[in-house]
Amino acid sequence: MNPMKASFQRVSWIARVTFLEAVRQRFFAFLLILGAAMALSSVSFRVLDFGHGELKFIADFGFGGMFLFGSVLAVVMTAQLFFSEMDNKTALTLLAKPLGRGEFLLGKFAGAWAVLGVFVAVLSVLLGVVLWAREQELLLLSEQSGKVPPTFSASGLAQFALLQWLRLGVVASIVLAISAVARTFLYAVVVGALAVVAGQLQWIAQDAVLKPSESPAYEAVLWLTSRLLPNLQQFNIGDALVLSSAGVESGAVWAVTLAGAAYMAAYVFLGALLFKRREI
Amino acid sequence: MRRLAPWLCAFAALFAAGTMAEHAWRGVRPHIPEIGRKELEPTLGQGVLLGILGGLRTVVADLTWIRSYVLWERRDRAGCEALMRAACALDPHSRYFWENAGYAVGFDLAHWEIRRRGGYAKVPAETQERLFHAYARRGIEILEEGRRHAKTTTPLLLCAAQLAEIKLKDHRLAASYYQTAAEAPDAPWYAARICAQTLWEDGRREEAYRWLRQYWLTRMLPKEDGFPDDLQRLRTMEQVLGVKPELRIPRQAWER
Amino acid sequence: MSSAISVRHLTKDFRVGLRGLKLRAVDDLSLEIPRGQVYGLLGPNGCGKSTTLKIVLGLVSATAGEVSILGCPSATPEARRRTGFLPEAPYFHKFLTGRELVRYCAQLSGVASADVAAAVEDALGLAAMTEAADRPIGTYSKGMLQRIGFAQAVVHDPELVILDEPTAGVDPVGSAAIGRMIHAMRAKGKTIVLCSHLLGQVEQVCDRVAIMDRGKLVLEGRVDDVLSRRDRHVLTVEAMTPTAREAAEAALAAHGAVVTSVTHPRRSLEDLFRELVTGSRDA
Repeated sequence: MNPMKASFQRVSWIARVTFLEAVRQRFFAFLLILGAAMALSSVSFRVLDFGHGELKFIADFGFGGMFLFGSVLAVVMTAQLFFSEMDNKTALTLLAKPLGRGEFLLGKFAGAWAVLGVFVAVLSVLLGVVLWAREQELLLLSEQSGKVPPTFSASGLAQFALLQWLRLGVVASIVLAISAVARTFLYAVVVGALAVVAGQLQWIAQDAVLKPSESPAYEAVLWLTSRLLPNLQQFNIGDALVLSSAGVESGAVWAVTLAGAAYMAAYVFLGALLFKRREI
Repeated sequence: MRRLAPWLCAFAALFAAGTMAEHAWRGVRPHIPEIGRKELEPTLGQGVLLGILGGLRTVVADLTWIRSYVLWERRDRAGCEALMRAACALDPHSRYFWENAGYAVGFDLAHWEIRRRGGYAKVPAETQERLFHAYARRGIEILEEGRRHAKTTTPLLLCAAQLAEIKLKDHRLAASYYQTAAEAPDAPWYAARICAQTLWEDGRREEAYRWLRQYWLTRMLPKEDGFPDDLQRLRTMEQVLGVKPELRIPRQAWER
Repeated sequence: MSSAISVRHLTKDFRVGLRGLKLRAVDDLSLEIPRGQVYGLLGPNGCGKSTTLKIVLGLVSATAGEVSILGCPSATPEARRRTGFLPEAPYFHKFLTGRELVRYCAQLSGVASADVAAAVEDALGLAAMTEAADRPIGTYSKGMLQRIGFAQAVVHDPELVILDEPTAGVDPVGSAAIGRMIHAMRAKGKTIVLCSHLLGQVEQVCDRVAIMDRGKLVLEGRVDDVLSRRDRHVLTVEAMTPTAREAAEAALAAHGAVVTSVTHPRRSLEDLFRELVTGSRDA
């Protein structure tokens, strides 16, 4: 068999078992239920709406659930899926087979990313249903009052869901790279969470890079720091994609997608290199 | 070197990804006005961090606004302004936050400052005037920034016009705001009337008449009742300005 | 023909603590494990035998020395393709059934898709796990876990099988079953490396043994050779009367032999246990 095809098959088998292990975890179900509850309850919390536009308020609840619980899931679940193999020594059995360390890590990542995809898909569908239902109600009300009704873009929501899946994939790849060198699950989770916070604040460095500076040393440091960690804020364009009539230029969305995919690949590769040196 | 090669490749891949991300950031940055705002810095310790990170911005903005009301009750000038500005920054598309922040800062804070300094009897009139001017300008700054981000701007224009008229006593500035507001598709009926009034009081009487006449003919006359009160105001203007009968607005059938 | 496993001057140091103190786990070990035999690797806890096995399997890197499996450098997928491994106290995903686990391992080990089903059934049959194969692994007893672990180690028909404490925590009936599996593998010409603390079983099953202590090889050779006392003989006699005993001792003394003790032979507790307990309680 073609070596590439054989390698792909090994990776997919590892991914399949990882996926099955992850969806059976109560932690996953718990976070999914929390996120779904947040999306569904947004309609009840409308009383807090200070005139943002009702659909924006509902959408923000859904986006917030995806961001908050998705990030927790990406960090904790990915680390747990890795360390359960190490601590239970199932990794010993698997890595004694003709399975490369990179294939093992890639398979773990693919399984974890697939679970995150299920999470984002479920929440996105729920949010879409809630938005659509409320949009229809507002449409009826606006016909009576003569006002312009708010609308949302289903295709924008789908694009946003894909971007969130990509963002969580980037987070999972970073956590996996950290886990490859971490000795304990707790360490991997803490450092992974810090990396997520740093990634959400990375826009500060990127904004600074875009501004001219007189100091070459400062520019060099900025250039370095703005690249080592991904800017996770660039995935937060939900308002523009879902609620804005203007939307976001497709070129910009593609650029974010490609950058996210590039970071994912780079971190998985780095994780594989680090894992190769680890003694099981 | 062979042992280092994979590591160099990994870091090269990271830097390449970072370069792509920098390019992507330029494209999406304008669509995320909520971040990078100086107004958020003083409030980071007040639970605003979650909104900055990216989750539940609207909810965090709402809670921040509610907390600003608590400080409004306590007449905490600095805290109230900081939280109101933070709420605006977290949800810059919300007209409500900008409008009410402009009102609070422009109308209320000066009075709190005067009371803090000892009250109206103690603080000299010039100082009071200076404070009214200063805070009114700050209120107008907030409203001007709101115009750049909020989806509906007519209420912000009206609020700025009121600040200019009442606090700054700048009829020219007030008239320009009223005029812009009146020309918006969602303008309230009184905006045009007050615009004309303000222009008149600013001494630009012919301009006031010409503008209101044009506005009445194009936007008011086609409406149901034709706005008879505004027509009456125009007749008064015509009389005061001595407009020739043949140049006046033709008599309407329903005119008293 | 090359050895199944060839270890030459293997040394492994671990860095311990913040100061990075070296702990030498394996110290200049050289070993040749011939093909087609059952080879026992023995030693007290912490002697370095598990570390040696991990280096052989490429799970840990050597500080110095060379290790090859069936002529290939050990830390390569090619070497591992021809090797099966059962770790100590095996743990597998509880939600998988036995058949799914063995299938999963067959696929990872490079068994062709068309041959996977047959290979899985053969391995399950060899491990006497066919009946319980469709139950989740979470419902298995200790002995069943060991047997399913054995099945996953041999499903891809490896030439070399490494078993680390395969009978630890298993009852004598289960141990005997594993012993039979080992013999069956040897009959097929496989090489088995057995790491165990159960010396009685090693003595029964293995052809050659190596004993390690503090990272060094202390003794190596055929079981018979290392255990036999060639200077003494044992005669087992039935229906010997006191008169016959005196005559036998006098005859031996006439030829210069000295009878040092006369005792009744004993069977082992394990044999007695197996006789009394019928079948396995596992299935």
